[in-house]
Amino acid sequence: MRLNSIGKPFAVSALALAVSSGAYAVTDEDILNDHTTADDVVSYGMGLQGQRYSALDTLNADNVKSLQPVWAFSFGSEKMRGQESQPLIKDGVMYITASYSRAYAIDAKTGEEIWQYDARLPDGIMPCCDVINRGGALYGDLFFFATLDAKLVALNKDTGKVVWIKPVADYKEGYAITAAPMIVKGKLITGVSGGEFGIVGKVEAYDPETGDKLWTRPTVEGHMGYVYEDGKAIENGISGGEAGKTWPGDMWKTGGAATWLGGTYDADTDTLFFGTGNPAPWNSHLRPGDNLFSSSRVALDPDDGSIKWHFQTTPNDGWDYDGVNELISFDYEENGGVVKAAATADRNGFFYVLDRTDGSFIRGFPFVDEVSWAEGLDENGRPIYTDGGRPGNPADAEGEKGEPVLARPAFLGGKNWMPMAYSQDTGLFYVPSNEWAMDIWNEPVSYKKGAAYLGAGFTIKPANEDFIGVLRAIDPKTGEEVWRHENRAPLWGGVMTTAGNLVFTGTPEGYLKAFDAQTGEELYRFNTGSGVVGTPITWEMDGEQYVSVASGWGGAVPLWGGEVAKVVKEFNQGGMLWTFKLPKEDS
Amino acid sequence: MLLTRWFTALALALSVSAHAGEGVLERPPERTYDIIIDSGYLNVGVYRDFPPYSYEEEGEAVGVDIDVGKRIAEELGVEFQVHWITPDETLEDDLRNNVWKGHYLAKRRIADVMLRVPYDKTYAYMRDSTGEVINDQVVMFGPYQQERWQIAYDANEIDSVGTMAVFQYYPIGVEIDTLPATYLTSAFAGRLRDNTHHFTNVHQAFQAMADGEVNAVMGMRAEIDHELGRYADQDFRAANNGFPGMGKQAWDVGMAVKHTHRQLGYAIEAIVDDMVREGEMAEIFERHGLRYSMPAFYEEILVADDEAPRS
Repeated sequence: MRLNSIGKPFAVSALALAVSSGAYAVTDEDILNDHTTADDVVSYGMGLQGQRYSALDTLNADNVKSLQPVWAFSFGSEKMRGQESQPLIKDGVMYITASYSRAYAIDAKTGEEIWQYDARLPDGIMPCCDVINRGGALYGDLFFFATLDAKLVALNKDTGKVVWIKPVADYKEGYAITAAPMIVKGKLITGVSGGEFGIVGKVEAYDPETGDKLWTRPTVEGHMGYVYEDGKAIENGISGGEAGKTWPGDMWKTGGAATWLGGTYDADTDTLFFGTGNPAPWNSHLRPGDNLFSSSRVALDPDDGSIKWHFQTTPNDGWDYDGVNELISFDYEENGGVVKAAATADRNGFFYVLDRTDGSFIRGFPFVDEVSWAEGLDENGRPIYTDGGRPGNPADAEGEKGEPVLARPAFLGGKNWMPMAYSQDTGLFYVPSNEWAMDIWNEPVSYKKGAAYLGAGFTIKPANEDFIGVLRAIDPKTGEEVWRHENRAPLWGGVMTTAGNLVFTGTPEGYLKAFDAQTGEELYRFNTGSGVVGTPITWEMDGEQYVSVASGWGGAVPLWGGEVAKVVKEFNQGGMLWTFKLPKEDS
Repeated sequence: MLLTRWFTALALALSVSAHAGEGVLERPPERTYDIIIDSGYLNVGVYRDFPPYSYEEEGEAVGVDIDVGKRIAEELGVEFQVHWITPDETLEDDLRNNVWKGHYLAKRRIADVMLRVPYDKTYAYMRDSTGEVINDQVVMFGPYQQERWQIAYDANEIDSVGTMAVFQYYPIGVEIDTLPATYLTSAFAGRLRDNTHHFTNVHQAFQAMADGEVNAVMGMRAEIDHELGRYADQDFRAANNGFPGMGKQAWDVGMAVKHTHRQLGYAIEAIVDDMVREGEMAEIFERHGLRYSMPAFYEEILVADDEAPRS
């Protein structure tokens, strides 16, 4: 196994540190080197860069057919709905979150529960898109996750007892958190989700031990960032320098740009990367300008939250492309030199390769079969808008239903929240994507909270008769689609790749699937009983390689109707965690 | 993800079948007329924190819609129970979450009747792009008030509001993501846009007017009248201007029940009809210091009634 030479010495040194600071504590080194160690997964993304690549090759394209389930764990109760979480594993214990802001520790050998924590959610929370949670973080002897009522929770990882709970934002104002927080340089970092109630996106750092806030960085131009010293807020510069540069009037005060998917971190450049959601209000004609930093990737200094650079994928977003997608750091060689790059596959249908040292645009190309709203990207990566591709201004509709504008991809995105993976062996990104379009039209007869309103109607339509989901292998250097695997239902789960020439992902039909990373040939499938919209992990325990994935259909897709609903309406909900291994005799 | 605002009820079409597998216990209770009378109470759905219609004061539910709901319960001979509604992004969402299906976080928590539901035939029979009736799971009935837009201004700052043009020169406050917000930031080629200040609700906009941050506020007439009463010590006045180019300037407000509960709807409709015709509805608004307009629905009927003997 090729990992031994790299991984083992590291594990030993990490263990030495752990012993000195308490039994099996998770250290900064464990987290920083998560992507190189085989026996644990202590970060969302299987490494802070978020590559979701494992150097394990015990399980490989030749023997994956012998992969067998070893245990399954039920999240319990009547609370099912979407299970979008990624498990963590440390010292034979698995940590996972589930729908309705629940967390569990499980014996990774037997599947027996060690503890369970159910957040007490207040009445009247209105999460926009299902009651999902995407995962937690480990540090020291604590397990962290965030809740639908926008709080960070720190639990003792051995007992599940609450150590502290801190509100990050007020759920009554429309905030929530569903993303996994992360530990970077001893700080607990989180973003926020929010609906259309005039929230302002932000990234914040907390002291993992006490829950004290360390810095806050708003992701809308014009808002002041702060660092906190001895409980006092000290001004640390206005995001974007000043208000009103890319927003009209006071709209920056309620500009949106929620950081709802969490972030990644690159130690090489010491930079946090967060995606930001769409601007508010939804009608782009009311907010002429680029509306920074909505639908962008924002690079932050982890020490104080200062913005290093930004790259905006959809300026003046009028399609709800909500470009929050993860930015994954990777290096590649070109002309004898190493390019420090980062890649992101945006909801808007374009795949972007950026220079991660300064955010400059290297190249971009559509990763879906068709993009209608833009003809392409200019030399700086800005979209060249298609004439007539922007939904009309509802304020211009004179009592008549407006003409529908067909936009592709649909607002659910060429790729939504589900993370892609990067293989250091093939140099390819494995992108879980969907082929769908939407009609948007102005709806002059519309009401909201007892009052007349101007709304938009929409219908999402599959772009093809027989498939919506497409798992793609994309070459970031050429834009070439090396292979594709089509799936009838939309793909909504994360992807993992391994040195065993494998790519894993799940399907709403219930399968955990493995593919040949080079050819895309499907090598393995196992039906977990409900749709897989979680993200798989792999690790090694007692000399055997394991794979785990959460199962439970839900998320945003079943909340929408139209033609897509016909494809997914028969899928049953669930709430299980499945663990597989390659038995020793088969390796 | 900021998607739910797109929710036309295309989402509704799938809901019944898609979630049929969730088990009997997860379904909202079928509270028909007979069951309601037997149970001795009526769950009346009203918006939370929404003065002057429905809100809490010292733990008590108060407001015009609360008074209307109490009268309905009284006439039915049952106890009034308040069902607070946290507004979602559109009325379709509120009807789904509170009248016919239940919110997915609390499916059994449902209102027997929801108030402050605009009464608009075009809306009630609206179809989506595939031809499906969007709101076919509810019956909208019983208009009891006509609501409209209204501006209040600070007479110490602005002499008069003859036309909307004055807001090229004076800042005006508005609740975010409402039709007035859209109007002020898009009408007249965007010339009022930079003077438009956005607030969480009309009350906060009035507070900003008291602080001098804005010189006017636009909202629903009852909201504006209510705030004028709260700020009676200031020289704030209601304007008489028109709203050129604004789509919907006045609309009727009624109620909704689940489409399978029509018998309940008929009973309530009769009660409310009487209240409107006999002037009791106007009295409730007057008691709260609000102007009242009878629904346009009645103007047509009553005019026809008046004319009938003569013909």
